Amino acid sequence: MKLLTHNMLTSKCVKGVNVGYPLTINASDVRVADVDFNPDFISRLIPKIDWPVLYNAAESLGHVEDLPKETPVNYENNEEFLKKAHRALLEVEVVHGELVCPESGRKFPINNGIPNMLLNEDEV
Amino acid sequence: MEQVSLSKQKKIFRKLNKLRIALTKETGIEFSSCPTESLAVCNVGLANGLTKELLFEHFSKQGTLTNINLLPGKSYCFVSYLTIESAAKANEAFNGKLNIAQDNKPIYMLYVPKIPLVDNNDIWHELPPGLIVLKDYITSSEEKNLLDMHNFTNQIDGNMKHRLVKHYGYEFRYDINNVDKDKPLNEKIPSQCDFLWERLSNERPEFKHFKPDQLTINFYSPGHGSSIVMDFKNGDKHICVLLPQRSLLIMSGESRYDWNHGIVPRKFDVIKDPASGTYSCLKRGVRVSLTFRKILQGICDCVYTDKCDSFKSRGQIVENNVAAKLEKLHVHQVYENIADHFSDTRHKPWPNVLEFIQSFETGSVLIDAGCGNGKYLGRQDLYDIGFDYSAGLINICKNRGHEVCVGDCLNIPIKDNSADGILSIAVIHHLANKNRRLEALKEIVRVLRIGGKALIYVWAKDQLKGQEKSSYIKQDRKNRKSLYTQAASVSYETETVNLLDGTVSFPVHTNRTQFKTQDVLVPWKLKDENKTTFLRFYHVFENNELELLCNSLNNVKILKSYYDQGNMCIILEKINN
Ligand SMILES: C[S@@+](CC[C@H](N)C(=O)[O-])C[C@H]1O[C@@H](n2cnc3c(N)ncnc32)[C@H](O)[C@@H]1O
Ligand SMILES: [Zn+2]
Repeated sequence: MKLLTHNMLTSKCVKGVNVGYPLTINASDVRVADVDFNPDFISRLIPKIDWPVLYNAAESLGHVEDLPKETPVNYENNEEFLKKAHRALLEVEVVHGELVCPESGRKFPINNGIPNMLLNEDEV
Repeated sequence: MEQVSLSKQKKIFRKLNKLRIALTKETGIEFSSCPTESLAVCNVGLANGLTKELLFEHFSKQGTLTNINLLPGKSYCFVSYLTIESAAKANEAFNGKLNIAQDNKPIYMLYVPKIPLVDNNDIWHELPPGLIVLKDYITSSEEKNLLDMHNFTNQIDGNMKHRLVKHYGYEFRYDINNVDKDKPLNEKIPSQCDFLWERLSNERPEFKHFKPDQLTINFYSPGHGSSIVMDFKNGDKHICVLLPQRSLLIMSGESRYDWNHGIVPRKFDVIKDPASGTYSCLKRGVRVSLTFRKILQGICDCVYTDKCDSFKSRGQIVENNVAAKLEKLHVHQVYENIADHFSDTRHKPWPNVLEFIQSFETGSVLIDAGCGNGKYLGRQDLYDIGFDYSAGLINICKNRGHEVCVGDCLNIPIKDNSADGILSIAVIHHLANKNRRLEALKEIVRVLRIGGKALIYVWAKDQLKGQEKSSYIKQDRKNRKSLYTQAASVSYETETVNLLDGTVSFPVHTNRTQFKTQDVLVPWKLKDENKTTFLRFYHVFENNELELLCNSLNNVKILKSYYDQGNMCIILEKINN
C-alpha cells in the first residue's frame, strides 16, 4: 500500500463511524521501491492530496525525511519538492501491518501490500 | 317418418327409465311426463366431447332455440325451444335415433319443466371492463382498400392450414407472444390505415393518443362471411363477444391485460342474442383481421402483476439478508474459486472502456470498483487504484504491480469526493436486489468529486441487440431464421436451482443464449479434470433499467447511455453532493 492510497482510504462505512479518516498505520514491514518520476503527474496530483495526512503518515513510518510540513507556493516548478512528494506518495510501501479506524479502533490487516477493507455483516 | 318397432320402443323406454333414475339421483332434477319447451339430453354432454355447435346444428332444424346448456364435466345437457311444438318435434325426431352420443350411439331425452339454474359461465350480455366494440366502423369501400393493402393470394397454395400472416412495424412472434422491440421491420404500417385513427380521435377522444407502430394482418381460411365470436376468459368467467364484419374492437385496461382472449377454431359460431335470449348460428368463412398495436418501450409497470410477462421475468424480490448470503455463496466464493481461470480468460479490454480511461488528464484519480484481474489498471500517468471483493483476483492485480485493496462496492473504503473517475465494469449485476444495486450506485457517486465521471457496465438481458442490424437489414431469410431458432430454441431455461435451503430459486442460464429471466445463475466451468461447475448469480438488465436506476439519484446526470458487447452502459457525472 502506497501512502497515496492511504491518503484516500477511510473506515467511514463501519456502523457508527462518522469520518473514519485518516486511518492510523501500524506497519511491520515497510519498503521503498523505485518508481519512475513524472513531475507533471505529481504536480497535478498534489491538489488532490490531504497534505498533512500524508506528512503524518510518512512521519509515523519513519520516512518523513525532509518532506515539508506544507506544500510550498509555486510547487509546480519546484522539482526538488516534487521529487520529495513523489517519494512519499509513490515509493514508500507498507507491505505488512494494519490500518486502524480512528473512531472505532477496528483493524484492517495489510498483507503483501494489500489492505483488506472488507467488513462483516454486523459492522455495516 | 320412420316406423319404430315395438321392441325398439320398449328398449327406449327401459333406457330412459334407467337414465331418469340416475340423473335424478345425481342432480335432483325433476322431469315432466308431458311435453315442455325444454329437453334434457341424458346420455351425452361436454364430458363425452359434445359441442354446442353440434347440438345446434341438429336441434336448430326443429325450431328456434332459446337455450343450449352444456355443463363442464357432465355427460348430459339441456336445450330449450321457443315453443313446446318445436321441442316435441325434436323429441320425436331424435329420441333414441340421433347418433351423436359416445361411439355414435343414439341420444336419449326427457322433458324437463325448466332448465336447472346451474347455468354455464358463458356470458353474452356484458363486455369485459375496458373492451369496446364499435360496429360498422368502416364502410365497404374502406374495407376493400384495407384488404387490398396486402395480397395474400399468391401465398395461398394447396396446403394452407389456418392462417396467413403479414407484419408491419415489428414482427409479432407467436412463439413468445411478443415482438422483438429491438428488431423493427423496414416496412412500417401503410398510410392507408391512418384514417382509422383520425376517425377514432373524433369518435373516442380518450384514444386520440393511440398511434400504433405495429400491425399484424391475419388471413383465415376461405368460406363466406366474416363476423366471429371472440372468447374472453378471466378465472372461471367466460364472456363471448360477437365481432361483426367491419367493426373495430378496442382492447383497453382490464380487458387487454387481465383477460385471456382467443378465437376457437370452428366452422361456425353459435350466438346468443342477449335481447331475445335466442340462439342462432353464424357460419365462419374468410376472415381478415388487422391487429394494431403500440409497442411499449422499456419496462412494464402495469398493475396486472400475475399476468405480466415483464413482471414475471423480473424475478422474485430477494430480501436484503438473503441477497447478502446469495452473493457470498454465488458471487464471492465463486470468484475466489475460479480466480486463476477467470483471470486467464480476461485480458482483452473493451475499446469503449479504454476510451473512457483515456479521457482523463494526467494526474487524475481513477478508481476501478470491482477491478477483477485489473485489466483496466496501469495507465502510467493516472493514479489508478482498484478494489475487488475477491482476494484471489486482487492478489493477481498486486503481482502485476497495481495499487489495490480488497473491498466491497457496497461500502467503498474511500473518502467522499475524491475520485475524478470511477469504473464499475460488470459488477453491479452481481447484486441480488434492486436496493443493493442502487446502494452501489450511491457509493460510486459519493466517492466521485463534483464533475467527476463514472462508467458503469452491466450485463444486458438482451444479448442479440448487437446483431440485429446486420442480419436484419440484409433481410436474409436464412440468416434471420438462424438467429431466430437460436433465440427460440434456447430461451427456455430448463433447470431451476433452489438455494439457501429453498428460500430462493433461480433458473440456470445456458451460456451464449438469450436470457429468459432477469435473475439467473450463470455456470462457470473450470478446465480441470472434473470440469467443476460453479453457478454465479446475475441480475441482467432490461433496456432502460440502468437509466431508471441512475435517474433515481438526484445528484447525477447521465452523459451517455449505450449498448456495448451485450452490456447496458452509462456514463454519469456527479453534479452536486
Ligand atoms: C465479471 S467480473 C468483472 C471484473 C472486471 N471489472 C472486468 O471487467 O474484467 C465481476 C467482478 O466483480 C467482483 N465483485 C462482485 N461483487 C462485488 C462486490 N460486492 N464488491 C466488489 N467487487 C465485487 C467480482 O469479484 C469480480 O471480480
Ligand atoms: Zn405489465
